[in-house]
Amino acid sequence: MAPEIAPEIAAETAAELRPTTALDPVAVVKDAGAAALISLALALPLFGFRIVGLGSGRGIDLEQRWDWVAVAVAAVFLGRIALTLALHRRQGIDAAAGRMAARLAGVRRYAVPALGGFMLVAALAWPAMPFVDRHLLDLAILVMTYVMLGWGLNIVVGLAGLLDLGYVAFYAVGAYSYALLATNFGLGFWQCLPLAGAFAAFFGVVLGFPVLRLRGDYLAIVTLGFGEIVRIILINWYAVTNGPDGVSGIPRPTFFGLPFTANPDEGTTAFHTFFGLEYASMQRIVFLYYVILVLALLTNLFTIRIRRLPVGRAWEALREDEIACRSLGINPRNTKLTAFAIGAMFAGFGGSFFATRQGFISPESFTFIESAIILAIVVLGGMGSQLGVVLAAVLLIGVTEFFRELEQFRMLAFGAGMVAIMVWRPRGLLSHRDPTIRLHPENRR
Amino acid sequence: MAAAAEQPLLTVEHLTMQFGGLIAVDDVSFTAARRHITAIIGPNGAGKTTVFNCITGFYSPTAGRLALHCESGDFLLERMEGYQIAQKARVARTFQNIRLFPRMSALENLLVAQHNALMRASGLSVLGLLGAASFRRAERAAIDHARYWLDRAGLTGAADLDAGNLPYGGQRRLEIARAMCTRPALLCLDEPAAGLNHAESRDLNKLLQFIRDDHEVGVLLIEHDMSVVMGISDKIVVLDYGRKIAEGTPEAVRHSPEVIRAYLGEEEGKALPPEVAADLEKQDGAT
Repeated sequence: MAPEIAPEIAAETAAELRPTTALDPVAVVKDAGAAALISLALALPLFGFRIVGLGSGRGIDLEQRWDWVAVAVAAVFLGRIALTLALHRRQGIDAAAGRMAARLAGVRRYAVPALGGFMLVAALAWPAMPFVDRHLLDLAILVMTYVMLGWGLNIVVGLAGLLDLGYVAFYAVGAYSYALLATNFGLGFWQCLPLAGAFAAFFGVVLGFPVLRLRGDYLAIVTLGFGEIVRIILINWYAVTNGPDGVSGIPRPTFFGLPFTANPDEGTTAFHTFFGLEYASMQRIVFLYYVILVLALLTNLFTIRIRRLPVGRAWEALREDEIACRSLGINPRNTKLTAFAIGAMFAGFGGSFFATRQGFISPESFTFIESAIILAIVVLGGMGSQLGVVLAAVLLIGVTEFFRELEQFRMLAFGAGMVAIMVWRPRGLLSHRDPTIRLHPENRR
Repeated sequence: MAAAAEQPLLTVEHLTMQFGGLIAVDDVSFTAARRHITAIIGPNGAGKTTVFNCITGFYSPTAGRLALHCESGDFLLERMEGYQIAQKARVARTFQNIRLFPRMSALENLLVAQHNALMRASGLSVLGLLGAASFRRAERAAIDHARYWLDRAGLTGAADLDAGNLPYGGQRRLEIARAMCTRPALLCLDEPAAGLNHAESRDLNKLLQFIRDDHEVGVLLIEHDMSVVMGISDKIVVLDYGRKIAEGTPEAVRHSPEVIRAYLGEEEGKALPPEVAADLEKQDGAT
């Protein structure tokens, strides 16, 4: 997992890796000897004797196992020496890592925009890649959905610092808004999309109003509860939501009124006949991919812009210190509510996309684990970092799906990924924050 | 106009703050004038910060009236929510333990202080999202205002650094600059000189005098550093155990027997309550 570095830097680093202070061999042996002595004291009674049977009235028969004791003591002695050497070497590595991080900070200025640009081009060109088949395209749509949700939650958690464990509730509201409006009133995807966003934002305000006076852990618990409440209402409100059976027959999106079907209804022209193409089911998938890509990019653009506006700075200030914000005349409740509502709105957009892609939704799709995954993407990506969310989503969703053949063991890969990020990048993949405005732009590092 | 100038900026009447059985502030009354530095001093635990927290709306007082008279109107602070006191009555404050936004740059800290004006200019973000020219003008004006205070606080070069990375004295000055960016009528400073060295606290004196003289701001100051208090205050209010024991010019307060007693104690016997003194005398007689 070592970061890729230029060879000349690597060579320099290798020189720096040599321990700075020499080890005293006598001290090492003494230290190991002490450890061996302790293990001898422990091993003698534990390993040294074994009860082989109860003697006939004369106590117990014991078997002596001095070889076991010798092995244990030798293992501790050698292990201790190895540990000391390893720790000593590690100090050198840590010092070198610090110097390298400082050097990489200079590279970051160019590396981050370059990486972002590369990922944007790759995302735009993805369906045209020769190696991309139906499976990989579906995977890309899934990853992109999580990227969008991550970007939406990033507003709430990363910028405003409100730990929301019930984000999936707004995703569900968006999905059911579209599904119910479409199946009951015959509205199309493009009409429902803004409505779904508005409903979700409205729910954000309604749920946020009573809970946003809480902070930190308390807010997390209450939002978790609200997330579950929404799911349970969806299960039990049978008359409207069709309960656990879910809503099926959700209409697919159309390309400005042109459906993606082989045999369209009387009077409508299908996408492929309008453009004079052969019918292929891939066309619809490619279209879906671009829909979610545009939605996600809109979310990103919105966030980038709003971060530079007073309300965005007020969110970050609230995350930093709410009391100071109040002393500056910022209304904490309204400011938090806007963050909550806007985050919910993007979840609503994402939800209606999910509904139209699946064609079928049920409360099972909106369990707590979804909230947890989205939150993990935001936290692992580096709170507040837009590019970090993309990297974390690709890593967590893409790589986990890649291991699908391993069945339940793929969750092991998921967990291992999380642990690895937390060990190497405890503040997230990209935790650096650039000021939203500069007085001296020429002095940029 | 003359009458308005005579009316004090802040009138505190019979302010009482009780926490359960503890009376932290007990029937304190004083006034603070425009273009004056009014210092509140007193030994540790005298209730100075509690008075501040009542004025700035972090506590709602048990009893008493806090009236603020400024150009934008008269306000009864005890009836307002904390953020409204800053927003409408324009009372700004700093904190004893500095409360900056540590992971935002110094400039961003000062722009957050101008949030309400900028929020109006950005049309509740709609105009801002569209990049309207009127908003960009307002933002430039806000940056100029921030720059003005960065210059005064000697932090122009550090404008783009994270506030949390500034040296301690710089953080103190930035917090004052941030409070001034809200264009306050009354500035409340809670121990601004705490932890500053001699040169830094001299600079602070100059900054506070500049704020008082050039910005028509009333300054309310809690301070332990007597070189700051005696050097720049126009008026001093002394608290001890939640009660006001003296009020007046630095010269008058310095010679007040009550104040000397509170700070230095008293000649033996006199300082003790009569029953304790009587007990002690009995003990002396026994040994």
